[in-house]
Amino acid sequence: METLCAALDPMFPCREAAITTLGELIGDAREAYPSAIYLFGHSGTGKTALTRALLKECSKRQGVRTAHLNAIECYTTKIMLENVLDSLTSPQKGDSVKADNMVEFVEQLRRAEAPGFLIAVDNAERLRDMDANVLPVLLRLQQLTSLNLCVILLSQLPFEKFYNKTGLSEVICLHLPQYNKAETQRILGSDFDQVRGHLLEQFATDPGRLEICETAMTEDFYNNYLNLFLSVFYKACRDLPELQLTARKCFAVYLEPVLDGAVEASDISRLWRHIAGPLRAALTQIYMRIEKPLEECAESSASLEDQSVRKLAQSLELPYYAKFLLIAAFLASHNAANQDKRLFVKHHGKQRKRMQTVNARAKTTEKMSTTLGPKSFSIDRLLAIFYAILEEKVGLTCNLLSQISTLVHLKLLSFVSGEQNIMDGSARLQCTVGLEFVLQIGKVVGFNVRQYLCDFM
Amino acid sequence: SRLAEGTPRRSIHLSNIVEQRVFKDDDIISTPKRGRPKKSVEDEDDDYTPKKSVQKTPTRSRRLSTATKPATTPSKGTTATSAAAPMTPSQKMKKIRAGELSPSMQQRTDRPVKDSSKSQLQLAREQLHVSVVPKSLPCREREFENIYAFLEGKIQDQCGGCMYVSGVPGTGKTATVTGVIRTLQRLSKQNELPAFEFLEINGMRLTEPRQAYVQIYKQLTGKTVSWEHAHSLLEKRFTTPAPRRVTTVLLVDELDILCNRRQDVVYNLLDWPTKSAAKLVVVTIANTMDLPERLLMGKVTSRLGLTRLTFQPYTHKQLQEIVTARLGGSEAFKGEAVQLVARKVAAVSGDARRALDICRRATEIADTASVKCVTLLHVQQALAEMIASAKVQAIKNCSRLEQIFLQAVAAEVTRTGVEETTFMGVYTQVETIAAFMGVTLPAPGRALRLCATLGAERLIISEHSRNDLFQKILLNVSADDIHYALRVGEVN
Repeated sequence: METLCAALDPMFPCREAAITTLGELIGDAREAYPSAIYLFGHSGTGKTALTRALLKECSKRQGVRTAHLNAIECYTTKIMLENVLDSLTSPQKGDSVKADNMVEFVEQLRRAEAPGFLIAVDNAERLRDMDANVLPVLLRLQQLTSLNLCVILLSQLPFEKFYNKTGLSEVICLHLPQYNKAETQRILGSDFDQVRGHLLEQFATDPGRLEICETAMTEDFYNNYLNLFLSVFYKACRDLPELQLTARKCFAVYLEPVLDGAVEASDISRLWRHIAGPLRAALTQIYMRIEKPLEECAESSASLEDQSVRKLAQSLELPYYAKFLLIAAFLASHNAANQDKRLFVKHHGKQRKRMQTVNARAKTTEKMSTTLGPKSFSIDRLLAIFYAILEEKVGLTCNLLSQISTLVHLKLLSFVSGEQNIMDGSARLQCTVGLEFVLQIGKVVGFNVRQYLCDFM
Repeated sequence: SRLAEGTPRRSIHLSNIVEQRVFKDDDIISTPKRGRPKKSVEDEDDDYTPKKSVQKTPTRSRRLSTATKPATTPSKGTTATSAAAPMTPSQKMKKIRAGELSPSMQQRTDRPVKDSSKSQLQLAREQLHVSVVPKSLPCREREFENIYAFLEGKIQDQCGGCMYVSGVPGTGKTATVTGVIRTLQRLSKQNELPAFEFLEINGMRLTEPRQAYVQIYKQLTGKTVSWEHAHSLLEKRFTTPAPRRVTTVLLVDELDILCNRRQDVVYNLLDWPTKSAAKLVVVTIANTMDLPERLLMGKVTSRLGLTRLTFQPYTHKQLQEIVTARLGGSEAFKGEAVQLVARKVAAVSGDARRALDICRRATEIADTASVKCVTLLHVQQALAEMIASAKVQAIKNCSRLEQIFLQAVAAEVTRTGVEETTFMGVYTQVETIAAFMGVTLPAPGRALRLCATLGAERLIISEHSRNDLFQKILLNVSADDIHYALRVGEVN
């Protein structure tokens, strides 16, 4: 067990406690395993990697048979059972094993021989959606097969989300907490040698930069950078893989003035001034995984979202009438139907402004329909608004109607109800695009959308 | 010939051959009549094989079975040797389907204990076992007369008909009917009654209503065939007149299981007796008295007819008589003990099985107390075990937090007035009660676990804990039970 922990500790810094506990539970195959271990924690806390490494070490050192599977892949029970059997019983056998149900699975496992068996199931929350007997049987598989066997379940949920109506057997719960700031910095800083080696390799042809890089690139320098990096990022994100990716990306920008000789490597405040902009720009891009040079985003960091919407709206090549249909759908979704007469009918007669309506509107200004979400509308109303906002009078051809269905296919509109009876007029639609997008489209066709929205009057 | 498959006349014509063969098998098994030379039959078979392939009948296996039959049937010894010879599983299955291998069970290695070495209590216990059906059922003489008269009349008249027998479980329906059949069989063996065949199916032993055809055909010939085939063969048998057709008595137990939406099986079983050629007497047994009116279609109810018989639940006197008759002259039971059992059981269900089981349990209790005779106290203990509910005991043996949780559910039901509570409301009550009692509050995750355990024990009814705070909880025990269990516990 000690050798096992010693092998795993360098691979997983700041997980000594968890590794020790796991080592105590399943470290030695000569001792009896617990029947089930439930390992839970947030994403990016190293559950899967830790278990995988542990299983590998166990099978290498002690001859334990292991199986690691993902419950998402097992859309039927049979797939899961045969996967487990494949990796647990005599892996060298070429012919495929067959297990149609749990009984056959347990029968075949009973015949297996090894000092120990470890089964790890990733994304274990999916087990609740499989056949009702899967989770209860897995939790007491040790008892059913009378083997030295342990089932490790990995999930992001606590175990109290797993209790079913008929009760489950005991399970040992183990929590992997998220890393704190110091631990995160330590883990991010652990790849210093790798980063340095990579940089030196990169500048091997450029002796001037290579020299600066060699002198400037010290552990302190890198840790200072990570400190600055985390002071911006740690509030928003504690997901380690994500932080690692972004830290690598930003480090190139950080190093640039040093390599150019503009800033001394020890002048942290100037370096901070230099990097703060790109870091904030990168913060808006987190979890998006867009491979784009940082400088581009730095220019327009404030309007990044607007820009992306604008770009999307411009890049979406829709026919002229389809654009108007989309605008009409947006208006139908975000205007109350009782306002239609006032908005779209030319000679709707005089409307007296009553004090009551003024008061009612004043109260609900924070409840703008554009923020509350779209309401549903019928196709008749969509066509009526379409003809009202379109100045020219086009014929109602099949092309026009097919454009509505195309918009539905493109998921710019969606059905709320009555998908089966579209033709008899009881189907209800909803517009799924946002205000910015529609404003852009309106700009393209030269139509002022705001003018027709109740919220902006 | 392939075209002819659909036309009914052709198929009837074709199946006449099958019909003859069925009768031949029939003759061999049950009633020896008109010894037909076997060769001619085989010749016929050979003549018709090309046409038979059009039909769905598996001709190969049939011919195989006829070929093997003369070899195997004459002496048991040959079958034994052939069974000892290594047989492939498919051969075995073929023989099983042809009914040539009778299903046997493993014999125990040591001999059963002799009756002389048993004690009086043991003998009484064996006599009280539900499976030991007496030769003549006490307290069912009138029903016996009724069924006997009906069946004897139908057999004598050679006509066929239907009867519907109903009654709650454990009132001696099946025992009486089979008793009547046994009496009639004895009479026909003594040539005081025309011979008849007896078939028996039970709806609960079938995986599907249509399997009834397979079972009936299996009891006629011993062969297992598909239900379509069995149905067509039975149809042939019951619709085409054949000379010297004997009366067939068909007992259908658990009729309500055979009722599906189409009710085709029930219809066929009740329609065949109406055919003049069939000579079929169908006795149907079910629990509910108004089953024909409630569940069956009009035409099926009409065919079932109005000959009905209802078995009333046993009164306490009758139960006492039954148990006393079972005990015979044995002194193992006190008179008042039997009376107590009879009164308690008659008040609840009038089920004879229940009374016999309680008596057996009482003998076991007396046995452990090493007494020769079952007294009132033993019976009371047995009754407490078998009738009393265990819920109060279960609540008393719950952990402290589980008890608090149960109290909280009851309190929430009282507070809202609605039976169905959500976990959130219950947890608020748990907080209150825990603060009141001065115990530490369990976290909601632990409380969900308590809830799941109680739900698995069926003290409450809860949902899956994935919708944790919003899961709905129903109390499965009465609120009074909780108060009773916890209050009495406090005093102790």
